[in-house]
Amino acid sequence: MAESSGTDPTVDSNVVENAAKDRTMIVVTVKTPKDKEEIAILEDSSVAQFKEEISKRFNAKLDQLVLIFAGKILKDGDTLNQHGIKDGLTVHLVIKTAPKATSGSTSQNSASSSGTPQANSSSSASSPVPNASTPPGTGPAIQPPNLLSGFGDLSSLSGMGMGSANFMELQQQMQRQLMSNPEMLSQIMDNPLVQNMMSNPDLMRQMIVTNPQMQQLMERNPEISHMLNNPELMRQTMELARNPAMMQEMMRNQDRALSNLESIPGGYNALRRMYTDIQEPMFSAAREQFGNNPFSALGGNLDSGVQPSRTENREPLPNPWGPPGTAPSESRGTGSSTTTSSNGGTAPSVSSLPNPLGINASGLGNGVFSSPGMQSLMQQISENPQLMQNMLSAPYMRSMMQSLAQNPDLASQMQNPEALSVMTNPRAMQALMQIQQGLQTLQTEAPGLMPSLAPGGIPGIPSTTGGSVAPEGPPPPTQGSNPSADVSPSQQQQQLMQQMLQMFAGGVTTTQAVTPEVRFQQQLDQLSAMGFLNREANLQALIATGGDINAAIERLLGSQPS
Amino acid sequence: MDPNNATYPVKLYVYDISKGMARQLSPLMLGIQLDGIWHTAIVVHGEEFFYGGGGITNCQPGETSLGEPNSIIDLGTTEVTVDIFMEYLTSLGESTYRGNQYHLFEWNCNTFSNEVAQFLTGSKIPAHITDLPAEVLSTPFGQAIRPLLDSISIAPQGGNTFNGQYGQR
Repeated sequence: MAESSGTDPTVDSNVVENAAKDRTMIVVTVKTPKDKEEIAILEDSSVAQFKEEISKRFNAKLDQLVLIFAGKILKDGDTLNQHGIKDGLTVHLVIKTAPKATSGSTSQNSASSSGTPQANSSSSASSPVPNASTPPGTGPAIQPPNLLSGFGDLSSLSGMGMGSANFMELQQQMQRQLMSNPEMLSQIMDNPLVQNMMSNPDLMRQMIVTNPQMQQLMERNPEISHMLNNPELMRQTMELARNPAMMQEMMRNQDRALSNLESIPGGYNALRRMYTDIQEPMFSAAREQFGNNPFSALGGNLDSGVQPSRTENREPLPNPWGPPGTAPSESRGTGSSTTTSSNGGTAPSVSSLPNPLGINASGLGNGVFSSPGMQSLMQQISENPQLMQNMLSAPYMRSMMQSLAQNPDLASQMQNPEALSVMTNPRAMQALMQIQQGLQTLQTEAPGLMPSLAPGGIPGIPSTTGGSVAPEGPPPPTQGSNPSADVSPSQQQQQLMQQMLQMFAGGVTTTQAVTPEVRFQQQLDQLSAMGFLNREANLQALIATGGDINAAIERLLGSQPS
Repeated sequence: MDPNNATYPVKLYVYDISKGMARQLSPLMLGIQLDGIWHTAIVVHGEEFFYGGGGITNCQPGETSLGEPNSIIDLGTTEVTVDIFMEYLTSLGESTYRGNQYHLFEWNCNTFSNEVAQFLTGSKIPAHITDLPAEVLSTPFGQAIRPLLDSISIAPQGGNTFNGQYGQR
């Protein structure tokens, strides 16, 4: 029987020992950083015996154990009593993972090398912490060259005005370098130091936020700062930035989501609103300040339910409609613009129709196409064929395909790239509609003008009747009638155009569903509330002004006897 | 006593993250008087250690973006050497004090400081610091903004982290 306890090395006594004896068992909690255990032991045990128990329970060697109580390290020769360790108290344990000498140095090394990712914090204007480059202790003196030499072969940067210790200027210089040399970006991304840095969302956020350009952006659009404060989103964004394949995947997904959105009635308007209200100012701000800096546009994400993050290719489409009534110029924004609506065959006829007005549509188009935003968009489209597929799979596209099948001339027109680009721009389509309506007014009021338009040479359509374009009766109403085969080509053309426009505007698959009356319902109500009781005249005025109430009112007041 | 027992002082640096705003606004917003929103860090072996959204972090004392501490509390002395302490912190950083476990109210810098303080000296940090979250949550306002608070993590910049778990979350 284990009568003697204190000197017995094999302490099985925790179970067997007799509590009634004057040597009592105490239960001491032993706590490591990772877990804790309760160990029962005689209260007058020595630390050595205690360690024996512990080494059994924790599966560690005796010399790996370091016991700490009340700030003191328990030495083997001490007793528990000596340190005041009593029942129910907690003793801390550290299990050394390596022999003492090397563990100290390794932990120091790990501490300093893990300091490098943090070294880039730009919370202060002064240059980052020493040990910026990967081996600790390389360049003590000047910070910026160390920082950049850690990036691999960006040594060209080191000559660029390293005298400035201002980290902001450094960033700008880097951006300029980036823009001039696209290869550099991929080099940078591959550097493990950068990857390390980018995995730290707090650091990235700090970097982004303290950039004054970004701050301006944030002021203009508080959504950005909201997004930046969301760590999940930041993390996701950084994953995206690191992984181009993932980025493409996400682009694809959200374009698909967007195209689905458009098929919902009213969804197109929501998208358009989204675009004009939010993205345009943001991206025009981003573009003028950042150029092609990928991180900037990553920060420009919205957390609306529909629209996850987008990337830098979403340059704002310049507004080709400065003055109203000019021809819609081509702005090719396919999947990546907010509207992938499409319509066909109107551009060529448009380019001829406004000629009386003296505007050269193609000239406008050239300017637009050559802007860098356009080019990046087109590049993106060419890289991601999925976008085109998404576009084509939207429901309204099918109806258009059907009408295409009915009219082969339309098909040839659709292949015209200008036509395509007009299709994808919603404001283009709207302006087209206005023009269309204006034309109808012209037809009724100035029939003599029409002959000059017919020979305008609508490409792809044989212009058979030289002059007799003006229809006998009133021009076909904009309610979109079915094309009748016996009218003149341009008439048919116009009807088709109207069909397209109706389809586009209404977002429905039939050609007769949406009337201006329905579209302008709200405005009509407003007008009648104001006292304009002539519904027909209201409608005409609204059609003529494209839904603009104030202009419609003026029209009405001008035409009515007061 | 052993002549080998070198002892090292342990201090608690206490910062008011609200920079005085809590003292003024808390009666209005919460209905109770809070003298500050406390962030704490343990200073031992010439370095400051704290826990935030980025995990366990260390830096030079007083060198975080929070600036100088509001108050410094003396926690006593410890025999724990640098090596053992680093091992301990590394273990903590890998297990129970990883960055992604940070929760503003329940598992925060003060929780960490409390634990380390007990490890080093056996004593806890002052109760008014550790009781702060409970006090806030006991007010209706605190309950109302609780979802927002669940998403905040405080990570003063300017140090090196221990857990080395970048990108592995």
